[in-house]
Amino acid sequence: MIEAQGLGARVGLFELRDVSFVVPEGKYGVVIGAAGSGKTTLLETIAGIIPLTGGVLKLSGLDMSGVPPERRDAGIVYQHGYLFPHLSVEENVRYGARDAGFADAMAKRIGAAELYAREVRGLSGGERQLVAIARALAPKPRVLLLDEPFSALDPRRRTLVRREVRAIARELGITVLQVTHDFTEAGLLGDIAILLDQGRVLQSGPPERLFREPASPYIAEFLGAENVFAGEVRYLDDAAPELVDGAMELLARGQRAIEFRAGALTFYTVGDAPAGEGHAVIRAEEVLISAAPQSSSARNQFRGVVSEVATTGALTRVTVEISDAGSAGGARGKSAPIVAALTTRSAQELVLREGSDVWASFKAMAVHLC
Amino acid sequence: MRKAHRAASVIAAFCGSIFLLFLVAPIARLIGAGGADGLRHLFTDGELRSALALTALTATSATALAILGGTPLAYVLERRQFRGRSLLAALIDLPLLIPHPVAGIALLLVLGRRSLVGGTLLDLGIRVVGSPIGIVCAMLFVAAPLYVSATREAFARVDVRYEAVARSLGDPAWRAFRRVTLPLSARGLIAAGVVVWARAVSEFGAIVILTYNPKVASVLSYDRFTSYGLDEALPVAAVLALLAFVPLFALRALKASRGVYAGMMQ
Repeated sequence: MIEAQGLGARVGLFELRDVSFVVPEGKYGVVIGAAGSGKTTLLETIAGIIPLTGGVLKLSGLDMSGVPPERRDAGIVYQHGYLFPHLSVEENVRYGARDAGFADAMAKRIGAAELYAREVRGLSGGERQLVAIARALAPKPRVLLLDEPFSALDPRRRTLVRREVRAIARELGITVLQVTHDFTEAGLLGDIAILLDQGRVLQSGPPERLFREPASPYIAEFLGAENVFAGEVRYLDDAAPELVDGAMELLARGQRAIEFRAGALTFYTVGDAPAGEGHAVIRAEEVLISAAPQSSSARNQFRGVVSEVATTGALTRVTVEISDAGSAGGARGKSAPIVAALTTRSAQELVLREGSDVWASFKAMAVHLC
Repeated sequence: MRKAHRAASVIAAFCGSIFLLFLVAPIARLIGAGGADGLRHLFTDGELRSALALTALTATSATALAILGGTPLAYVLERRQFRGRSLLAALIDLPLLIPHPVAGIALLLVLGRRSLVGGTLLDLGIRVVGSPIGIVCAMLFVAAPLYVSATREAFARVDVRYEAVARSLGDPAWRAFRRVTLPLSARGLIAAGVVVWARAVSEFGAIVILTYNPKVASVLSYDRFTSYGLDEALPVAAVLALLAFVPLFALRALKASRGVYAGMMQ
C-alpha cells in the first residue's frame, strides 16, 4: 500500500505541496498530469531519492520517515531506463536480485531475456525500457514506481508488456504507481488515478470517476472532455421529473431536478450541485447523433448543423453547431458547439459531412455538474 | 564580401600560426638543444637520476593523497546540497590563484618547525620542511584543487539517476557509488589523476621555499642554471620537457579509448 498524507518535497524552485492519496495494497495507481506537474518528483519522493519536507509517507503500512531508498523495497523505472552501461543486459537484470533464477524468469516474461546477448549501448529505447522493467521486478519489490515505462514501445508490444506487468503485479501482490500521459492507459491499468497539477493533487479516485465526474472544469478539460459549459444551475422543484431516467429514485435519495442554462443552451439533469454559477461537463462519447429526433423524452435534445468531422481510426469526432430548440432542451440564439464521439462506422452510416442537418442528444444523467 | 571573408581567414590563420609557434617553439628548441645530451646524462649524472626518482616518488605520493582526500570531497561538492557549498568550492580553488612561492610561504607558516603543526610533527620525529614530505605537501597544495575540479566534472557527467536506480535496487549509498558511479566516472578520475601528477612534477615555486634539498628535478634545473649557467641546466631542463610527454600521451590515449560510458549519457 502507498499512503501519502500531506506530502511535501522540494527540487530547486519546484515544490510538491500537500499531496495526499492512497493506493491500496496490490492495486495499480496511475498519476496523470501535464509536463512539469511533479509526476517524476512524486515517484522519486516515494522512492526516497528526494527527501520529504513535510507530511507522512507509508509503504505497506510502515512509516518511511528517514528510511533510505535501499530499505524501502520500492523499485523505480525511469522513462529512459537508466541501464548501467558498464554492465551487460543480464547483469543489469540481475543487479538487485536475490535469486538470479527469478530475475531471469521476470526477464523472460517481460521480453528482456532475448536481449541478454546484446550490448546495452546497442539497445533501442523500447528495449531499454523492457530491461529496466525486468531489473526493477527482479528483487520482487513490494512497491513498483513506473515513470512512463512503456512510452518507447511499439503499440503491439506496449499492450503485451502492459498486460504482463499488470499480471505480475497481481501475482506478486506488488503495489504499483505509474506515471502516464496516456488517458487510455490510465483507464486500462489504473485502480486509482491521481491527477497532479503544479505539485498538487487536483483529484484522485477510480479513473472512471475522474473522467466522468471531474471536480472542476479545469480537470474536465485537462482530461480531454470536449463539452464543458459555463452556466447557471437552477432547481426545478415543480418540474416534470420524467425528463430524467430513474429520476424518481434519485429524487427519493435527496437529489434534485436541475435546469442548467449555458447561454442559449438549456440542459436538464438530477444532482446535488449548488444553485448558482457552475459548469456542466458532457463527455463526447455520451452524445448521440441522429438524423431525426429521438423518440425518448428522457433526453436533452438539440437540432444543429455539423461543422466538422474528424476521423482518427475507429473513432470519429463530430462537432455540431446548435441551431434550433429541441424537444426537451432548447437553444435560442448562438451557443457553444456540442462535440460527439461516434464509431467511424456509425458516422459513415449517417453519411455525416460538414453542413449535415442532425440532432445531438444525451441523457440527463450524462450531464455532470461541477 | 567574399574578399573580406578571405582576408579574415588569412589573418586568423596567421594569428593562429604565430600563437602555435609561440607555444611549441621554445619546447622544441629546448629538446633540440639539450634532448640528446639530457638522455646521455640519465646514464652518467647520478644527481639527475636521484632528482628524477625523487620527483616521481613525491609526485606519485601527492597524486595518491589527492585521490584519497579529493575524491570524497569532490563527490560531496557535486552531489550534496548544503549551505556554504559555493564558498567551500571557492576556498578549494584558492591555491590555484595565488603565486606558487606565496603558497610555499603559507605552507611554511603552517608546517615550519616554529609552527604548531610543524613543531608537533618534529617532536614526533617527522620533519616536513627540508624533506620529501615537504615536497609532497607543496605538490599536493598546488595540484589538489585541479584534481577536485576535474573529479567534480567527472561525477557531474554521471547522471544522479543511475545511483538512484542502484539504491532502489538495494544498494546502500557507498555500494551504489562503488558499483555504479565509480566505474562510470573512472576515465574522468584517471584523467584527473594524470593531470595532478603532471602538475606535481612541474611544480617549482612552492617546493623551493619548503624543501630546497633534497632536490626534485625542477629545483635541480634551477640550481644548475644559477650555479653553472645555461649549458649545465640545458640537459636537465630537456629531460624534464621530455618527461612532460608521458602524461600528455597518457591523456591522449585515455581520450581516444572507447570507454564503457562513451555515448551512454541519457
